[in-house]
Amino acid sequence: MATPASSHGVSVEVNGEQIELEVPARRLLVHFLRDDLGLTGTHVGCDTGNCGACTVHLNGEPVKSCMLLAVQADGARITTIEGLAADGELTLLQRSFNEHHALQCGYCTPGMLMSATALLERTPRPSEEDVRLALQGNICRCTGYVNIVEAVVAVGGGA
Amino acid sequence: MLLREVEYVRPATVEEAVSLLGSYEGARALAGGQTLVNVMKARAAAPDVLVDLADLEELRAIGFSADGLLEIGAMVTYAQLVGSSEVEVARPILAEVAATIADVQVRNRGTVGGNVCVADPTNHLPPLLLALDATFTIRGPESERTVSADEFFVGVYMTAVSEGELLTKVSVPPSSGAGDGFAGLTIGKHGTYVANAAATVSDEGGVRIALGCVDAVPVRASAMEERLAGGDLSAEAVAAAAEGLGASLDPPSDAHGSGDFRRHLAEVSAVRAVLQAASRRKAA
Amino acid sequence: MTTVTDQPAKTLEKGFVGQSIPRKEDARLVQGLGTFFDDVRRHGMGYVHFVRSPYAHAKIVSIDVSRALELDGVYGTITGDEVAISTDPFFEMSVEPGGLIKDYALAVGRVRHMGEPVAAVCAATRELARDAAELVEVSYDPLPVLVEAEESLKDEVVLHDDAGSNVVWSGVFEWGDVDQALAEADHVVKIDRLHFNRFSSTPLECAGALVEYDRGTHEWTLHCNHQMPGVGAIWMAPALRVGIDKLRFVTQDIGGAFGNKICLHPQYVVLCLLARKLGRPVQWTEWRTDQHTANAHGNERTFLDAEVAVKADGEMTGFKVRALDDCGAFPRYEPLGCIIWAQVTPGMYGWRNIKVDFTQVCTNKSPVSPNRGYSRMQHLWLTERIVDIVAAELGLDPVEVRKKNYVKTEQMPYETPNGCVYDSGDYAAALDLVLELVDHGSIEDRRREAAARGKLLGFGIGSTLDSGTNNFGQSTLLNPELQFSGNNEAASVKLDIFGEVVVTLGTVPQGQGHETTAAQVVADILGCSPDQVNVRRGHDTWFNSHAGFSGTYASQFAFTGLGAVKGAAELLRDEMVQLAAAVLQADAEAIELVDGMARIKDGPEEAALPFMALGAIVNANNAFLPPDFNPTLNHRYVCRPYFGMVDTEKKTGQLTLTYATQIHAAVVEVDPDTGEVEIVDYAAVDDCGVRINPQIVEGQVHGATAHAIGAALSEEFVYDEEGTLLTSNFYDYHVPHALDMPPLKTGAMESPSPVAPLGAKGMGEGGGGGIHCICAAIQDALAGAGKPIVSTSCNPPHRVWAMLRDPESSRAGVAVESK
Repeated sequence: MATPASSHGVSVEVNGEQIELEVPARRLLVHFLRDDLGLTGTHVGCDTGNCGACTVHLNGEPVKSCMLLAVQADGARITTIEGLAADGELTLLQRSFNEHHALQCGYCTPGMLMSATALLERTPRPSEEDVRLALQGNICRCTGYVNIVEAVVAVGGGA
Repeated sequence: MLLREVEYVRPATVEEAVSLLGSYEGARALAGGQTLVNVMKARAAAPDVLVDLADLEELRAIGFSADGLLEIGAMVTYAQLVGSSEVEVARPILAEVAATIADVQVRNRGTVGGNVCVADPTNHLPPLLLALDATFTIRGPESERTVSADEFFVGVYMTAVSEGELLTKVSVPPSSGAGDGFAGLTIGKHGTYVANAAATVSDEGGVRIALGCVDAVPVRASAMEERLAGGDLSAEAVAAAAEGLGASLDPPSDAHGSGDFRRHLAEVSAVRAVLQAASRRKAA
Repeated sequence: MTTVTDQPAKTLEKGFVGQSIPRKEDARLVQGLGTFFDDVRRHGMGYVHFVRSPYAHAKIVSIDVSRALELDGVYGTITGDEVAISTDPFFEMSVEPGGLIKDYALAVGRVRHMGEPVAAVCAATRELARDAAELVEVSYDPLPVLVEAEESLKDEVVLHDDAGSNVVWSGVFEWGDVDQALAEADHVVKIDRLHFNRFSSTPLECAGALVEYDRGTHEWTLHCNHQMPGVGAIWMAPALRVGIDKLRFVTQDIGGAFGNKICLHPQYVVLCLLARKLGRPVQWTEWRTDQHTANAHGNERTFLDAEVAVKADGEMTGFKVRALDDCGAFPRYEPLGCIIWAQVTPGMYGWRNIKVDFTQVCTNKSPVSPNRGYSRMQHLWLTERIVDIVAAELGLDPVEVRKKNYVKTEQMPYETPNGCVYDSGDYAAALDLVLELVDHGSIEDRRREAAARGKLLGFGIGSTLDSGTNNFGQSTLLNPELQFSGNNEAASVKLDIFGEVVVTLGTVPQGQGHETTAAQVVADILGCSPDQVNVRRGHDTWFNSHAGFSGTYASQFAFTGLGAVKGAAELLRDEMVQLAAAVLQADAEAIELVDGMARIKDGPEEAALPFMALGAIVNANNAFLPPDFNPTLNHRYVCRPYFGMVDTEKKTGQLTLTYATQIHAAVVEVDPDTGEVEIVDYAAVDDCGVRINPQIVEGQVHGATAHAIGAALSEEFVYDEEGTLLTSNFYDYHVPHALDMPPLKTGAMESPSPVAPLGAKGMGEGGGGGIHCICAAIQDALAGAGKPIVSTSCNPPHRVWAMLRDPESSRAGVAVESK
């Protein structure tokens, strides 16, 4: 029978690399990624799980890492924004963001890319509505979403 | 913000989970965390022990009981509801409503059990499950019991699940020709509800209406239900049946509307939910 | 494309300028490799959490930090008492009474808004700092709370004893003769009360800094996201009793600012004190809740007793109004808001008789600070509301009233009643374009069709100006003692030893693409490609070229920022040409810079020097150069826009230099049962003169529109009577998400600015066009249901429903007196 503890060893695969680390039970996954692993591409934008700047993939699905404890990720597979471009080779989606001016300050961008990447994996040719639904959990205060939606639709070969 | 010190444990079986919940005062079940983690970040609550239900596969099942009830494990996520063929066949309104909860990320983690056990008056599932006449199975250290929705929702953030107990599943009668509806006003698309109503119209014309957001727990609009018992579900009849509904309520006032506005919205939502349900009912 | 008759537009030969080249910033940002201040780490750093007041107004009876200090891992604390001893109050801009306010980095003796920082704790981890903050015991004696400006004006409860009044500033602005205009009018439209609600842009990245203190040199380095470090330093240095040069601001990537990162000096002073006291770097990241509760709200302004003079033919000849501005608990930057609206005194219209009686008061709410559209947006909303209410009450077509009263393009450059000069623009043409984009001709058909579905359809226009490039001399209208005037921005451009072109900016970009547009301008001047131009990220007071007003704010980058870049690049070009001429033994006139080479025009192939050669000569191989020729290939340029002087008596003068036009139109459908408003069609036309990078300009229009839609339909900082902010997180303070945004159509015109170095006007703020047109559209939609008047800027469902339920109450404050 397992016993409650205030700190745990976690074993987690992050961007293809196996990480073993002791973490306080109370540490949020987003802070584990940013502060313990130095992966600062995942951002914090709010206190209540609304903004999605902290979005990562947990076992292939987009989740908000500010509402997960690092200990909950024990045994899981995580992909962060740093894990998208292999060896600095931008993905089609990242390049589409650049072509369509889908980012201004860039703070929401990692979260947007994680959500949009997950969408494209499931729905390779999304409609505009599919994209808006998929990005509903990612707040942007700079772009009004216009170019972001265009950039994602374009990757799917849409208009 | 940031949590207080807490102890964490991840049991392998439901029995272990129940035992842990009973052994530590101030222990709480951690399901999807989409509410609890935020509550702990704000330090509005600070359980001493978090019992993570993540490994309890038994609680993730969607299936049918021997007598045809749709059984939804407490750890079933909103995303699972949305993608479930069992739900689609038996009671699609559950998937329809779940699809409007927040966003993809939240739906990947948030659970049915969490939604009902948090018992936030603005949550989507409590009024819906009350209207659908769902039942809730609670496992304790010695035994298991099943309660109605009426008995389950006790107060704001309070349910019939006591310390040392765990909600294991929610059971929903299949539609069998009934039509279901859900309506309300949210703060922005797919946002928090300001007022909402769920309704079902059975193939025999029986109407159940439940209102959220207007009281500590979801409430039945009994007077309105009675007026509609006659079977006339035309727009005029439903609107007439809703008269006085608002006056019978004492909803809260806040930044999104006064008590009066919510009274009005309750009536509007009830009418819309009933009309939607009526239009989806399969002819007897 | 409009032409300016007065002076030819000063534009460059269009090469890269004018093209939508993809941004250089993106490569790092799409990989999550940007460096935002919270990404910066230092060995041994401590994390800071602020203890904040739970009361809106209270005396601080005692603060006990002893239990916090006992917690393992806590490095130290600081309280208001210490701050009051080791710092001086921040410089106040206003004259008395506001000028007498004492504003410190932490609350001293009294708290004046919920969330006001009272103490700070520094610990080894973020979590420990948060834990320790809970152990700080503060006891308060609550005082009566003021949340209404009109209540505050009575001075029954005074927030700042040193000032003796809640009034920060008041003044009367009067030009022409409005009483005469009212007497001669055929109609006088009276509007008792209009209220512009409190909201802000809520940038996704919160404020913060990592501060290091060097004990040897007594210098602080702030790795931060302050968007106007020049002003930050002017506040902080005297407070800390040090020279300005002791503060080094380093910004890299910033996650949006929109004006909300201008007044960060109080928290930054606390960090400086802690860094010095504790002998270690200290870091603070603002929480979202704290940003909403205690950082920067946009102007909240009530317009009272408006009277508008209208002739029988629809010409509006003047208006007068009392403006009551609520700046929250501390004015800080905010007294400038009392003046800055005067940049757009008549809005887009030709009326010449205007009187504004302006008062600013303190209340127990979060301090106000500039927010996208700063103060002009509120005033432009007033003028647009006036136009629509006049049109509605007199049965006139709002399109015709606008066309009749707009300043005409033939009148440009147009001097307003208070001496500002609208540089260029064609409002009527922009309006026509926006009407075409939303298919205005079909509105009545669409109204009928919507009615058949049980919805109320409405159409509205919002015309607005984005005034850019401030004359800081306008501050003398606020306080004649202030030693500020003009404006400036600096940049430097150099050619390095390997031929690399390197630019440093004085500005502090937060997403506006400065690295890219600066590169475009330099590339055209030096005849190379933007890829060869390296624009250093961000702002660093050690390395960058910056001037007193450096920063990114007030829609001026296209003028002053790029003006500085242009000036520096031209100096560099001229020197490169001279150097090439000397080396190639030709006349300077015969030399051109093309494709990264300096060559003799139409000369042989060999008569060319790559940039690298020029760089190498100056840096490493210069012996053969004649003694009287000493090129540096490193130039700094200060762009100093020229303004006329400000007359503090008449309150006239050129307060700003450029005016970008934005005209928005919205078609909405209102659900009469719930008050929900859905935008079913939307268009915005922008005219910012020459567009350096059209895609970037359009992105700014999209963003400004989204901010305006949020402000119009859901974003409001709502307080209860106890001064508790009810909308302190993104659940309750709802901002537009992807599903909330309607399809946006945009159009562009280019009326080059005759005064801007590149003919390009600043345009990032936008002026709130979306708020104006949505208010108009809602009013139009509800017109058939009792003609309610939309009198607030934010209209969420509960307000729309109130208008539907009781239109008479909403009309109660409007009256028409006709001859």
